[in-house]
Amino acid sequence: MSVANHVDHAPVVSESKGQAERDRLRMMMLIRRFEERTYQEYTKPGQKIGGFCHLYSGQEAVAVGIASIFQKGKDYLINAYRCHGHSLALGMDPRAAMAELFGKATGCSKGKGGSMHFFQAEVGNLGGHGIVGGHIPLGLGTAFAQMYKKTGGVTFCLFGDGAINQGTFNEALNMASLYKVPAIFIVENNGVAMGTQVARASAEPELAKRASGYHMPYRAIDGNDIDTVIAEMNEAAQRGRRGEGPTFLVANTYRFRGHSMSDAMKYRSKEEMEQAKLRDPISLYEIRLREKGLLTDEQADAMEEEVAEVVADAVRQADVDPHPMLEDRFNDVLAEQYPLQK
Amino acid sequence: MTEEMERDENVFLMGEEVAEYNGAYKVSEGMLDRFGPKRVIDTPISEAGFAGLGIGAATVGLRPIIEFMSWSFTLVCLDQIVNNAANIRYMSGGQFKVPITFRGGNGIAHQLGATHSHRVETIYTRIPGLTVVTPSTPYEAKGLLKTSIRSDDPVIFLENEKMLNDAGDVPEEDYTIPIGVANIERPGNDITIISYGRPLQRVVRHAVQALVNDHGIDVELIDVRTLRPLDKNTLIESVKKTNRCVIVDEDYGYCGMGAGILHQIQKPCFDYLDAPIEYVHSDEIPVPFNHFLEEAMMPSVDRIVAAARDVCYR
Repeated sequence: MSVANHVDHAPVVSESKGQAERDRLRMMMLIRRFEERTYQEYTKPGQKIGGFCHLYSGQEAVAVGIASIFQKGKDYLINAYRCHGHSLALGMDPRAAMAELFGKATGCSKGKGGSMHFFQAEVGNLGGHGIVGGHIPLGLGTAFAQMYKKTGGVTFCLFGDGAINQGTFNEALNMASLYKVPAIFIVENNGVAMGTQVARASAEPELAKRASGYHMPYRAIDGNDIDTVIAEMNEAAQRGRRGEGPTFLVANTYRFRGHSMSDAMKYRSKEEMEQAKLRDPISLYEIRLREKGLLTDEQADAMEEEVAEVVADAVRQADVDPHPMLEDRFNDVLAEQYPLQK
Repeated sequence: MTEEMERDENVFLMGEEVAEYNGAYKVSEGMLDRFGPKRVIDTPISEAGFAGLGIGAATVGLRPIIEFMSWSFTLVCLDQIVNNAANIRYMSGGQFKVPITFRGGNGIAHQLGATHSHRVETIYTRIPGLTVVTPSTPYEAKGLLKTSIRSDDPVIFLENEKMLNDAGDVPEEDYTIPIGVANIERPGNDITIISYGRPLQRVVRHAVQALVNDHGIDVELIDVRTLRPLDKNTLIESVKKTNRCVIVDEDYGYCGMGAGILHQIQKPCFDYLDAPIEYVHSDEIPVPFNHFLEEAMMPSVDRIVAAARDVCYR
């Protein structure tokens, strides 16, 4: 048996030492730049992005950490509405992502989903779901299918600290443990559900303990440290792949932007924000890579410039891409033609 | 269900009491023994949990049959069906299909009270992305259920507890009935009566007999079978022929199923109508427990006969 068989994820081909780490850093930078540019496009005069829009800035280590161990073609990721970062981390073309925000036909959901509903079936990205907690049973279901078909895949089911208080959380986690499905339920705990702090929404302040009634491993992890995220996700994924059932992880993190674009964040103090910036997941990782000698100033600068250009290109392209044809509104409602005889 | 599970290993049955209890109404009797616990699966009382499980599994290639003990209980998992099953395909620009069948007892059974007697057809029929199927005979139940399970779209399959013991000819062999096609159950020339599901079995067929035998009215009776997509053409052509129409259901009248059907046929048939279309429906009250009150709130043979005679001016 070759050594590769023991590796739980496809080994990253690196041309030089630290390439995989730098790729992760680059992806976090790309997501940050994408979101900050989205903020600009949303707020500037002649607004080209409409609807609800929830930015991921500050939480990048969770999405990129998961993507680091995600097995494309086998694993699934299903997510709530703050879904730009995860989609990019799983390899979505930034052009397709930005075009979706602009509502264009070239968007990842053909302009029919919008910010909250990014999907990419071929990589196992199952959305992008707008109703808080509504998709948790879906993640249970995709994991059930993985078990039913014995694929060896796992489902990463992500939601926010607000979703824990929905009934679907209780129903899905209980059933996941009963059936021992290979799911990893991940709370991205950014401390506040829209404007309601965790302490005002959850009677149990330690959110990880909310899973103590489901007979599955649970713990809180540092969601700003991508190496921690990778290690914890990997352990949970291996449990799932071994058929040992689901895991519950609370990734403690922070969002630098408001809940959505209209949020002035009056519920946060300046001091709190400044403290949080000290634990910016991108800066933390950058410092670590420099300390390990895996990143030079020139490399970091080049990466910043490169992702800025990628995002600028995505905006330019989205701007000129076509809107969907009006007739296209009737497409994609049903899969079958009716009358249906089978 | 058994035949379809033998035909396709991706089909499984899940719901409350479907396995070890052999079905709350014994619909799945013997299926656990036949297919084992991997494919006939008991759930906790968690409608949102197992409805969502089915939808998630369907989006990645399985073909679940999700049994609800009562469609009334789906009021606690509407979000799963309406937001997830119906929307995922559209919101993803057609990247996913959701081949799932939700089935169970719909409507008024017998003295189950207001909470367990909801007629949910309009709740689901008005949602693009869903198909809604409702059999009125054992023959239809088998043929329509097979098509529903094989469909790549989410199907709302509305049964009724009081129809589970109905007897009727059901061929042993594999046959299917198309979704989206209404059935002209009795051809006639004087009036079109349109109905579906339980009221057909409970009162409408009896009323038709009375109209034909006692009043000499030659009724054309149509069983809609599929509420979404509605086979408008069959209904319209019939009314153009008979020039008169009565719609019967057990729903509430205001925003009811029949009101929706009426809207679909009134305009194309307007110049052909010899009388306004009548709609016989349940009273606008929560469903009472008392047997006599419950009976009184629903369309009766007398009410249907009276409406049909009104429309025929005799």
